[in-house]
Amino acid sequence: MTPYPLSDSIDQSTPIAVLSYAVHVPGADSWATGGAAIDGEPMCSAEEAQSVLGRKGLLFKEPATRLAMCAVQRALGLPPGRPAGPLPLADRTAVIVSSNLGNLQTVCSIAAAVRVSDFHVVSPLETPNASSNVIASTIAIRFGFTGPNIMLCNGATSGLDAVRLGARLLRAGRAERVVVVGAEPEDEVAQALAKSRDPRTSPDRGVPALRAAASCVVLGRADSPAFAEGTALLGAGGVLPPGSAVDQILPTDFRGLMFVPYGLSPRVPAADGDQDRVVDLTERLGETYGALGVLQVAAAAARLTSGEGTDQAYAACGDAIEGYAWLSLHAGTVTT
Amino acid sequence: MIPAISGFEALTCLGDAEQTFQALCRGESGVSPLQRDTEQLGVDYAYEITADFQGRRASRWLARVVQGAVKAAGIDPAATRVAVVVGTGLRELPDAEWWWVDGDSMNLPDLHFGAAVRSVLPEAIEVLTISNACAASGYALALGADMLAAGEADAVVVAGCDSVTDSMLAVMGRGSPVRSTSVRPFDTQREGVLLGEGAVAVVLEPQERLARDGRPVLALLHGVGLTCDAFHETAPHPPGIAQCMREAHQRAGISPAEIDLVLAHGTGTALNDPAEADALAEVFGPAIGQALVTGIKGAIGHTSGGAALMALVVAVQAIRDGIVPAVLGLAEPIPEAGPLGLVCGAAVESRPQLAQVDAFGFGGVNVVALVGAAS
Repeated sequence: MTPYPLSDSIDQSTPIAVLSYAVHVPGADSWATGGAAIDGEPMCSAEEAQSVLGRKGLLFKEPATRLAMCAVQRALGLPPGRPAGPLPLADRTAVIVSSNLGNLQTVCSIAAAVRVSDFHVVSPLETPNASSNVIASTIAIRFGFTGPNIMLCNGATSGLDAVRLGARLLRAGRAERVVVVGAEPEDEVAQALAKSRDPRTSPDRGVPALRAAASCVVLGRADSPAFAEGTALLGAGGVLPPGSAVDQILPTDFRGLMFVPYGLSPRVPAADGDQDRVVDLTERLGETYGALGVLQVAAAAARLTSGEGTDQAYAACGDAIEGYAWLSLHAGTVTT
Repeated sequence: MIPAISGFEALTCLGDAEQTFQALCRGESGVSPLQRDTEQLGVDYAYEITADFQGRRASRWLARVVQGAVKAAGIDPAATRVAVVVGTGLRELPDAEWWWVDGDSMNLPDLHFGAAVRSVLPEAIEVLTISNACAASGYALALGADMLAAGEADAVVVAGCDSVTDSMLAVMGRGSPVRSTSVRPFDTQREGVLLGEGAVAVVLEPQERLARDGRPVLALLHGVGLTCDAFHETAPHPPGIAQCMREAHQRAGISPAEIDLVLAHGTGTALNDPAEADALAEVFGPAIGQALVTGIKGAIGHTSGGAALMALVVAVQAIRDGIVPAVLGLAEPIPEAGPLGLVCGAAVESRPQLAQVDAFGFGGVNVVALVGAAS
């Protein structure tokens, strides 16, 4: 085991790489995921999760939790079924999950059921789902990850916030590897709350319906043994407060691949003949809210490592009410 | 980097941070009959903030303590890059329940605390809401310290807040063998845990900033360990807890013999208390008898996401005032707690210099922090 670097400060220049990734968006094709999925991949529905995860351990697991576990299983390149033994680096692996709506239906359903009956209607097997960190802890238990385990419920920016937080955990020596996951459901309670969003979040277009989706990116330091030349590296990132102008959110002189918040693609001129340079994943998939930023990073990693020649990417998610998060990425030749 | 604590504020069933500490030292409890339908929920008591039953309770309490802590620290948010990390167990799920069941108003972003923080700190460069069960504000503390060490902020407000949900109360009612009337940490006659409500905020800054401005260092944050048991969805696991303590000690570069106060998680449950006592005895070894051990949930309940920072603030106050409150509700310790120097009966005068703060949550999320006197 590598000893903790107990240095006085955290070196921001330590390069962080996307070691692997997978998206798990039932029913989506490769184009809809911005190239992150490969057509023909088994992106099963939450109900069919046993085809990826095996039968055991799925009872009372919510749809977002199931999709999240499928994304992790596939990002780690594991065969179907429960991992047989401890995974390499499990004791030095952190988990960060971005989700806002994963357990909303369970919480609201319990509250409604108790109101017309009493607490005896609650199944003890639902207990873990009353706590909002259930997705992150379920992933830790399934895969044996004993590093820091963080559930980020930070709204529309949460996905990119989670990726940036993952990079900071690595630089702080709190983990050797970070499994970053974004996952949201599309059940009726979540859909109803999503409809409550301020229409200013998507002017002229209406509030899009939720799309159940999960994505996983595995982060490591670029000097880690798992790092391969050409892997996508994380660059600078940050946040912008609510009310920020479009030219603050999206760099006007950027010519690389750009993943934009919902509805902002018409504001960016596409390069000649390259319709796929500016990608609005919400336009393609629907509202994936807290999962969006992690889907964007997976798609960026896919494109940067595809050999198509693109070597710079930029992702931004969020909206006019909640503010924005952004992150730049590039195809990595590490010069350390 | 060892960040300084430059300000704090809290709100509990016993009042603000100073009122709460005074009440703790007097041995007062904030428990009261639950202000909800106890037959539906299967829970009779809680440590609620009973003066306030309007909506967005946690959000408003959080805004109040963030504002109070920033003011206490004496920083100018307009001239300082201030980031905020909020730890919560239940977010604004109480309001989501009222929205779904009663048709109250709710907007999607109200689930988290970005807008609540920005209502009092519009200059904040970043606001993060972390929902890490009963370890949440301890995780916020660690991540806030990392943000400072990375130079991403000049000051970080780390906070915690929670108000009770019907769903969590019903889950507790369903799972409890007896209906608890109070929380009795480490006691043989314990009846189980009860929820507490409130919010807490602590300001972290580099020591150099305080020295430059001539502002006082209230305490030093020596290190925070974060682990996950990866073992059980709701039950704690002694090896995971012990590993978290060791990680905190290692990151802080201290040995257990240097610790003279432990703010235990102590939930008054059969699951936590023996596990925590065993882990403390194992990690501290022969040094375990030298540290005073106390806990605050007998007085303010289990404040869920706020619990870690509530205990941290009490540790800072104990170091400052030279007095350690007793574990309210503790008369006869469980056998596992035998080696622990539990403070029982009345508060004791002491001069602790270095305190360990424990918090463990659903899903096996663990945090252990080490906070010490300003040297």
